[in-house]
Amino acid sequence: MESSLREDYLEAVQHFFEKKGHHPSYEELAVALSKPESVVRSDMKVLVSSGDVSLLAGGVISLTGQGQQTGSSVIKKHETLQCFLSEILGMDSSAASDEACTLEHAVSDETIDRLGQLMVKQDGQRHFGQRGHGMQDRSGTCRAGEEECQYPSIADCTEGEHIIIHCIQGRASAKRLLDLGMVPGERVFVKRKVSNGALVVQVKGCDVALSPEIASVIGVERLK
Amino acid sequence: MKIALLGNPGAGKSLIFNQLTGLGIEVNRYPGSSVCLECGNVCYKKEKIEIIDLPGIYSLDGSSEEEIIVRKFLERRGADILIAVLDATKLERSLYLFTQVTEFSQKIIVVVNMIDEAERQGLIIDGDQLSSCLGVPVLLTAASEGRDIDRILPLALGSGRVATIQVPYDHHIEAALKSLEKTLGTPRYKSLLALQGTGEDRMLLDAAGAVSHEIELRHRMSVRQIIATNRHNMCRKIAASAVRQGDRKKTYDLDSLLTRAFPGVPILVAVLFFLLLSVFVIGSWMEGIIVALFTTSVITPFTALALPTLWDRIGFSMLIALQAGLGIAFPFIFTFYLGLSLLEDTGYMTRAAFLADRAMHRLGLHGEAIIPMVIGFGCTVPAVMSLRILKTRREQTIAAFLISMVPCSARTVVIAGIVAAFVGILWAFSIYIIVFILIIFTAVILSRITPGEQFGMIVEMSALRRPQVRLVLAKSWLRIKEFLFIAMPVLIITSIGLGLLQYFEWTDAFQQVVAPITVNLLGLPEYASTALLFGVFRKELAFETLAVLAGTADLGSVMSSAQLYGFAIVSVLFIPCTSTIAVLYRQLGARITALISIYTVFLGLLIGAVINILMK
Repeated sequence: MESSLREDYLEAVQHFFEKKGHHPSYEELAVALSKPESVVRSDMKVLVSSGDVSLLAGGVISLTGQGQQTGSSVIKKHETLQCFLSEILGMDSSAASDEACTLEHAVSDETIDRLGQLMVKQDGQRHFGQRGHGMQDRSGTCRAGEEECQYPSIADCTEGEHIIIHCIQGRASAKRLLDLGMVPGERVFVKRKVSNGALVVQVKGCDVALSPEIASVIGVERLK
Repeated sequence: MKIALLGNPGAGKSLIFNQLTGLGIEVNRYPGSSVCLECGNVCYKKEKIEIIDLPGIYSLDGSSEEEIIVRKFLERRGADILIAVLDATKLERSLYLFTQVTEFSQKIIVVVNMIDEAERQGLIIDGDQLSSCLGVPVLLTAASEGRDIDRILPLALGSGRVATIQVPYDHHIEAALKSLEKTLGTPRYKSLLALQGTGEDRMLLDAAGAVSHEIELRHRMSVRQIIATNRHNMCRKIAASAVRQGDRKKTYDLDSLLTRAFPGVPILVAVLFFLLLSVFVIGSWMEGIIVALFTTSVITPFTALALPTLWDRIGFSMLIALQAGLGIAFPFIFTFYLGLSLLEDTGYMTRAAFLADRAMHRLGLHGEAIIPMVIGFGCTVPAVMSLRILKTRREQTIAAFLISMVPCSARTVVIAGIVAAFVGILWAFSIYIIVFILIIFTAVILSRITPGEQFGMIVEMSALRRPQVRLVLAKSWLRIKEFLFIAMPVLIITSIGLGLLQYFEWTDAFQQVVAPITVNLLGLPEYASTALLFGVFRKELAFETLAVLAGTADLGSVMSSAQLYGFAIVSVLFIPCTSTIAVLYRQLGARITALISIYTVFLGLLIGAVINILMK
């Protein structure tokens, strides 16, 4: 069986379960996928043998752990893509859904993660935009709220970690961070972290000591 | 001809300045601020050249006092030629300030300093390449060895020129700069500042504000961040083309000891303890010598003149004030400053700030506040002046309260002279403990009730290096001058005032009026109130006056141990001295100064009364 077909089945079963609260029968699944019931029956046999599906009494189709994992992951991909296509690119929502059905089988997990983050950011930006109108403070820095940065902060990192700065939230006073080279995209090394949460980070060859409350406004991406 | 040095803090600017000018530095307090500009004159080819050492800064578009001063200095073209001092070990980061300075289109040369340190780290810097990137002459120097310092002036005077580089900003920013130039005729640097919300021209700010709002929406980043990122990116490219990393010698990283909780914190405590101990030992030794010398060579001859009583009184008060200033300021404070400058120049103070961050958080402050607090052990006046390193009003206010309570060297004299001598050394330590408990108590309360936002520490850890004796001395000397400048006049004026009080015998009236408080509340002899009043003038005078009024230096014979102990603790806590009040007023305004004075008076009386009740 083709992997895209397998994923479609698993997605459909999982989706049905999440929506209706019980597992589908052959008939219900066939309706959901608009396929003949006989085709569904024969395909299920293949999925049972591959360990994705287990059949319960009364012809009810349930997913194994492995099947459920794949199903959920495909649903997530579908939703993210559909959201991206319709919300960001402005496509018609049903066309977006159709296209997402095709794309979801080929797209990598990383792409989905990054798309998700992008949209969170976009979302944050909308809030930021609304606040922005009232923003007349002389410092002119953005006073975006917590929702803008969905990344872990430097405060969450441990000693010896390499990270990339992703965003610096709000606070006019964070200006000094920019002067010292803590700008988005900059690679930073967490040189020291003491038990109280104060850190020494190495940025552009300089050691900079930060209080925990400063560290917590710097959103970062951890490098493995 | 005027030449100004500018650069990041710790890039070796001061050392270069010292080597260029030699001795004979003048310090000019910048009008309306507590930042000092150091100026010195040199003669080069029969021409007088004035060299100005601008305060070390990281950026030109900030709002700190130092940044504003340097910005204004550049705007009014305060110098004919600029010397940008860059740190060879941190070339990329130092270039960031340079890119901003070039926007002012003034003649400039670049001095890449600390090339010796860079060599040790295996960094090879290509001066010619850097020069062709920046479009200005570049000189590589090692100020700590004096290498090539003598070439700075000839190069600056001979080939200083306007830099050709220009930061390529994001195209939206560039478009905004162009349109601001077209519509309002604003120069590039001014528009850039306006886009970041800095400036005084309302019309420009409004125009720039609208554009920057637009840009922020489009980029999902503040304009400040965009501009900073553009600049850093260019600096990275330049540094990448001019710096090569060769073999790096393995060196032992002392920071693995100094910045860990263990053994870092015990080391910190030991260092501070040793600092205070040596100040006390060396200070009291020198004090003895100076006071004796002053008495025999100035005061005795003066009293021998036998002037009319009023003039005798005034002259005597003035001399006493001078003697106190030299006897206390010089030995204790100068020794303290030596130690402090030494610690700062080794780079240890930034580590101390890092380690103290947590403890300071409990007090509503953060790591950097340890510096004013430590200075406070020497003298409260410079400690209050150093408050400006704290960024928010809230922190300055809290720290000002605490500093006013920290036992300075003059108060140490009171504790040592009265309690350690007549009651017992352990009792003397108990005063310190009581004061520290009160400081912590005050801080905890204040951190809850003081309005304003808490701001944390962002401190560049300065590199650990061997301090230069000459620089340490120069720095301590500058600081002591700062102290003399502020404290001495106050000292002399109040001394004369108090002399007159005594002359017209108003002190007796004062004693009568406050007698209920002195005798009933504090359980002290009546004349103690005059001693306390004199203590306001300068703390150690409380001790000296007490001895004079009691009619004997053996205080133990006229007052009970409880009285002596109570007197010492009241005079330690009681209202800061007049010099402190003057500097508090200048730094924080009348309201906070009044609050601090009232609070400490109240606290002193309260603790004095409690001691009186407990020890009766």
